[in-house]
Amino acid sequence: MGKKVLIVDDAAFMRMLLKDIVTKAGYEVVGEAANGAEAVEKYKELQPDIVTMDITMPEMDGITAIKKIKEIDPDAKIVVCSAMGQQAMVVEAIQAGAKDFIVKPFQPPRVVEALNKLSK
Amino acid sequence: MNEQYLSVFVEETREYLQQLNEKMLALENNPEDIEAINEIFRALHTLKGMSATMGFENMAKLSHKMENIFDLFRNHRASVDSEIMDALFAGVDTLERMLQKILDEGNDEIDSSELLEIYETFYSKVSGESTKESEHVKEEKTSAEKISEEVLSIPITIEESVVNVLKEAREKDFNAFYLKIKLQEGTMLKSARMYVVFHKIEELGGEVLKSIPSVEDIENEKFDRTVELVVVCKISKEKLAEIIKDISEIAEVNVIEINPQNLKIDISPSEEIEPESEVKKTSSQKTPVSKSKESSQPASFGTKITQTIRVDIDKLDTLMNLMGELVISRSRIMETLKKYQIKEIDESLAHLSRITLDLQNIVMKIRMVPIAFVFNRFPRMVRDLSKKLNKEINLVITGQETELDRTVVDEIGDPLLHLLRNAIDHGIESKDERLAKGKPPIGTVRLDAHHEGNNVVIEVSDDGRGLDRDKILKKAVERGLIDEVSASSMTDEKVFSLIFEPGFSTAENVSDVSGRGVGMDVVKSTIETLNGSVQIESIKDQGTKVTIKFPLTLAIIQALLVTVEDFVYAIPLVNVEETLSIKDDEVKIVEKKPVIYIRGEIIPLINLKELFGLPVQKSDKNVLNVVIVQSGSRKYGLMVDGLLGQDDIVIKSLGKMLKNIKEFSGGAILGDGSIALILDVPNIVASL
Repeated sequence: MGKKVLIVDDAAFMRMLLKDIVTKAGYEVVGEAANGAEAVEKYKELQPDIVTMDITMPEMDGITAIKKIKEIDPDAKIVVCSAMGQQAMVVEAIQAGAKDFIVKPFQPPRVVEALNKLSK
Repeated sequence: MNEQYLSVFVEETREYLQQLNEKMLALENNPEDIEAINEIFRALHTLKGMSATMGFENMAKLSHKMENIFDLFRNHRASVDSEIMDALFAGVDTLERMLQKILDEGNDEIDSSELLEIYETFYSKVSGESTKESEHVKEEKTSAEKISEEVLSIPITIEESVVNVLKEAREKDFNAFYLKIKLQEGTMLKSARMYVVFHKIEELGGEVLKSIPSVEDIENEKFDRTVELVVVCKISKEKLAEIIKDISEIAEVNVIEINPQNLKIDISPSEEIEPESEVKKTSSQKTPVSKSKESSQPASFGTKITQTIRVDIDKLDTLMNLMGELVISRSRIMETLKKYQIKEIDESLAHLSRITLDLQNIVMKIRMVPIAFVFNRFPRMVRDLSKKLNKEINLVITGQETELDRTVVDEIGDPLLHLLRNAIDHGIESKDERLAKGKPPIGTVRLDAHHEGNNVVIEVSDDGRGLDRDKILKKAVERGLIDEVSASSMTDEKVFSLIFEPGFSTAENVSDVSGRGVGMDVVKSTIETLNGSVQIESIKDQGTKVTIKFPLTLAIIQALLVTVEDFVYAIPLVNVEETLSIKDDEVKIVEKKPVIYIRGEIIPLINLKELFGLPVQKSDKNVLNVVIVQSGSRKYGLMVDGLLGQDDIVIKSLGKMLKNIKEFSGGAILGDGSIALILDVPNIVASL
């Protein structure tokens, strides 16, 4: 049984794409969230092994969500998803406790690599 | 892979573009609106990611450059002015065109180099640096890097301050290492990746004492793929190498242990040795990328996230139809069982009624969408138009949350667009003209939607010059729509409604905005096919108001059933004011027309038999049943033979063959399986 993954992105399109990549790599997508607040709720509810977290989202952005999730579970494994040119935000996300980041446009091998490293 | 995602991509992109338009308008009105800036930034950012993923390079590039501009706004490094806003609006337009092209031809090849140039210039002017990504890369190589690894055991020069710290650390059981880290080819966000490395080292309780290139250069991505570090930490060489190697996108790690004792550096004895705590402080200040404090305030409000699924509208239509059949069946069952008067059945029938009513409401609601769907596109149009015509327009939109049937929403866009254009082009005067009239220089155009009973009312009004009665009459006579004799006696209302006649246009100069002679008649016919009505009011120099009314739902209505000569007819309950039984001697004749006098009001009577062309016999009954109906502001009494009661009916259209019949808006199947015609009260009254 694959590790449980929660996908967080405000664009349904991105979620769909990631879900495909993640599922094909043998992971189980247990939930999706469209903003940070939802992500925190879903994290509590689903207890995923890994979270992929978009940064720029309405309601609650990814960085705040990472902080909140880390408060609930200091061992949470979170991968940040970012578009190019967002160094500062990625760094902030890492400071907030994200373990790794992947860059849009996603390259499936990179996504899988990040997941595999986190699930060790 | 793209095929399966394309529809989602297109749909979502469209939503983001709409959001962009809205927020940019908000921003233009209030250049300080940081909320809007953030939302635009987010939307562009998402668009960039989505389009790049789909391989639409042009779109990705354009949104990237636009995003950069908003990044400047966000960080208060540049302020919003109308020049750059125009360019950004043009950018949104181009994105829209690209999306259209993607739909039509499957590619986004639209040249946007001119816009990119503008953004680039703006950006570099403000930030003093070019946004061209390529320039970041492959810049200077530090001299230290050129020293070959083979020659020295530690291929970099280490300043004496660092050596001192190394010695100090050694005494506290820290190991010192030289690390050479090489990133994978094609690594994106290299400085963020390096930050992960720094962060990891700190997590392990270690410190980065020196890095080549410098921390600043790493921050600015001024390095190729290799970074050299001097690190102190408590773990072993092998463990450190393993941990660093395990970070994503790291191609190679070389670790060499440093023995500070062997470093050939002359230390002046008097020099103070920096205490380690201070080193900690300085090094942590030097984390590669400074924390940005401005970003990521959670939006205080934003688009409400609701769980939705997309359903084919055909399925909803089928559902609605089935719902209609259910309502009919219910009525039939009730009709059949009524005569048996069984108590138990009455109860369950009442329950069934309630459920069908709820179900009916839900089905109706499913089909309802907020009119915001249509209204949203207007601010942008009004903005462009007012710039083009050099008129300042304040568009006030209210009631955009009002919901109405999906079919209506789909169709109403063009008529409203036309009315708005007319209001701006013909209604609102030029600035000078307005000032001369003592009006505020900025014209106001209002767009409002609200519920009124079972109707949805949409109003388009302006505070412009109003309709010119004489001009309309002159034109109407010219066009042969009316003759001169009747012209003088026409009420304003009738005169104004002339502009809805086919081929009528009052514009003196035909502009490319409106007034091509088509339009208002199309507006009216579109509204009428949706069972709506349109009215126009105008006061000279004060403005014009067009009122459009739609029934809330197009399918099931409540109606009063009446009989005329053994046939059942349905009168929509919305039209019905009251029902009366009067003695026939209460009917008075005024100007050869029958009227009744009720509570101080004179109400004309309409004999439905006469209207339907049925033989009118003198009835021996001296009691008349009258249904008082209201249409517009006027009341009429419909003379009927009997009153049956109230029922839900499902409107079925009469079909194309009978569409010229004005008296009936449709037919309905009743509980007993018979058919009733539905009276079209507004039309009957209008034809008098």
